[in-house]
Amino acid sequence: MDRRDFVKTAGGSILLAASSAYAFQFLTSSSASWMKLEVPSTGRKWGMVINLDRCQENCTACLDACRHENNVALSGDERWDIHWIRKVRIEGKIGSKTTEKSVILLCNHCDNPPCAQVCPVQATYKRDDGIVIIDHHRCIGCRYCMIACPYNARCFNFKDTEEWPNKERPRRSHGVAESCHLCAHRLDVGKMPACVEACQRVGAEALFVGDMNDPASNVSELITNNAVKRLKEDLGTAPKVHYIGL
Amino acid sequence: MDIKFESIEGRSFEYRVTMIAFAALAITGLISTFYIINKGLWVTGMYSRVPWGLQIVMAVYYIGLSAGSLVISGLYGVFGKLEYKPFARIAVYLAMLFLIAGLLSILTDQGRMDRVFIQPFVHFNLQSMFSINPILYIGHILICVVYLWALFTERKKLTTVVATLAFGWAFCVHSGTGAIFGFGARMLYESPLLPASFVAAAMASGTALMIIMIVGLFKLTNRRLDDELIVWLGRFLAICVIVVLYFIAVENSYRAYVIELRHAAVYYLFGGIHSLLFWIGLILIGLVIPIVILFRKKTGKSVKWIVLASSLVIFGVLCERYVIVIPGLTHPPEIFPGMEITHSAIEEGIASYSISFLEVLQALGVFGVIGFMFGWGLRYMKLLPTEARALHPCPESTSRKKL
Amino acid sequence: MNLQEILGKNASIAAVVIIVLLILLPLVWSIVSSVSTEGDQSSQLFLERPDPKYKNCIKDTEYMRYHHWELLRGIREEVVRYGKREDINFNKCRECHTSRERFCNKCHDATSLTPDCFDCHYYP
Repeated sequence: MDRRDFVKTAGGSILLAASSAYAFQFLTSSSASWMKLEVPSTGRKWGMVINLDRCQENCTACLDACRHENNVALSGDERWDIHWIRKVRIEGKIGSKTTEKSVILLCNHCDNPPCAQVCPVQATYKRDDGIVIIDHHRCIGCRYCMIACPYNARCFNFKDTEEWPNKERPRRSHGVAESCHLCAHRLDVGKMPACVEACQRVGAEALFVGDMNDPASNVSELITNNAVKRLKEDLGTAPKVHYIGL
Repeated sequence: MDIKFESIEGRSFEYRVTMIAFAALAITGLISTFYIINKGLWVTGMYSRVPWGLQIVMAVYYIGLSAGSLVISGLYGVFGKLEYKPFARIAVYLAMLFLIAGLLSILTDQGRMDRVFIQPFVHFNLQSMFSINPILYIGHILICVVYLWALFTERKKLTTVVATLAFGWAFCVHSGTGAIFGFGARMLYESPLLPASFVAAAMASGTALMIIMIVGLFKLTNRRLDDELIVWLGRFLAICVIVVLYFIAVENSYRAYVIELRHAAVYYLFGGIHSLLFWIGLILIGLVIPIVILFRKKTGKSVKWIVLASSLVIFGVLCERYVIVIPGLTHPPEIFPGMEITHSAIEEGIASYSISFLEVLQALGVFGVIGFMFGWGLRYMKLLPTEARALHPCPESTSRKKL
Repeated sequence: MNLQEILGKNASIAAVVIIVLLILLPLVWSIVSSVSTEGDQSSQLFLERPDPKYKNCIKDTEYMRYHHWELLRGIREEVVRYGKREDINFNKCRECHTSRERFCNKCHDATSLTPDCFDCHYYP
């Protein structure tokens, strides 16, 4: 190796090391640290309890309220319809006993959300208070989160719709994946999510949202006093939507 | 051995017709892509239950071909097999083009294409396979460019270094692509074997592609090509195909053996059109028949039969990509174990998927783009060698006919 | 060996020209589009003045004129990602600047910039 080669090799490796160090720093620092945003932790952790015993099978108050509040419009074809919250009937058979139930399904706001883990642009993420939310300004529409979600809770906005019932809230943007965000915009200002409010209004009182970290909250009490179940707990996703009577 | 490279004349009627055909395909693909952007992705065959379609199948397929043909170029660059030096340039150029094709397929599949160029790099997510892969892909293209440059300028040392790097990188690229599926949550995807199985399939399809390209190009331009070179590649292909078969067998027997996955395995193996593709397209046409052709003494030494086997492998691997991507999505995640969803607003249970016309046009368009670029490269770059001779001809083969 | 030897003379010139054109395309495009809209731009832009009882915006006019999008993006990030909804929010702009037609679109049309905010967010 002569002097020229040495200079070349050494210079190249120094350049490579410096650029990779820079790239690593650039890539691993989150946007929060760039923006110097200091967000005080509220110490809250929103959770939901669904009392299926009190949920009437043909009542659709929560579904309608969600559609109205979040401008989740039906696109006219079952295949591309968006459902942030949906009702299903399930049937199971043990021995000769057949059980039938109507269950409300929505985003489970997992503590270990697989959708947030796979999002290549950190558009889906878990907020400090436990809500799994999607930044639709950032989503590139790769639909990897829909593959990763074990609950089929995510919907891709395939079609544009003209309906815009709630002008205070944005319309659903085309070409991004979205799901229930537990009405974070309402929780932030001290209101309950639209579905919960609607459920109270019709007098069913089957849906509850509250702070799971606060032992005195309605949700904590319901969880301690009842046998609650979560969906597919064996996956380790730790969902925060609890079912009574499933 | 001194090998001269040259570009082709590109004035023949056939060349022009081929280029025009490729350009026409590319333009149809472009038009259909614009149509899809305008209308929204619902005009493709995808919907809420099956969010990935033909474009992802094609992307994975193209990336596999790319990684595979880079491995062939490694025969010269890494292992120093001088008789394969004539093919090194074509192999690297093809590897670059097919990776571009894969990226184009992924790009045209996104819901918001305008954001793809910025957001993944600004908001990098180390935990996401989809975030790591673009880095691998872009690195792959850059390495291919440097590799090509090293080959064109005949830098021996640089070629060895870059070829080794490219060889390893190609493995990483396709393992990463496999990990997109293998580390996913769907019952039919989840498998730590998938990255390795993807690499094997990539090497099989890449070798098959290179055999077809080499024989086709040499024959069309009336160049000397010694049979031994292709026969050796055929043996290499046979080994790759056996490895693919082995991985598929292991994976499926695991799924059939474990009780909780058994119903998924039954759905995969005997549950619809994809099962037909699996058994006939992949296992029979794509793997078993090529193995028989390549291992029979008579057919395994004949270039024509090897080319036939290669085409079957290429088709078989396309089927493999399809039966990995689509059944994994149409098979439903079990939300209530032991219960059945009888009524729902969306399609629960096993979903259906059909490829739409527009998606096929898009896929063909991507193919047209790289076909055009390949033709362009043949004409303006010194890709093709004047001849390809075997160094040590096999003693038993006496026929050295000029192709 | 250089580019010309690899590519041949004509092709290398063509390649260089194409690459340069591709790089320059956005620039050329913006020049072309600004020339084509120059007719509208010749007259002074008349922005709607907000209600005189509001003295000033949250930042001075000069800042708002050139950096309002940075501010909006920052607010967006705070609201969407950190749930800080109390300080300032997008809806408050509407209290003074009541019309998109008479305010935002004036400059945006003249400079042919079309942000996609209003695809989803309502602004009268």
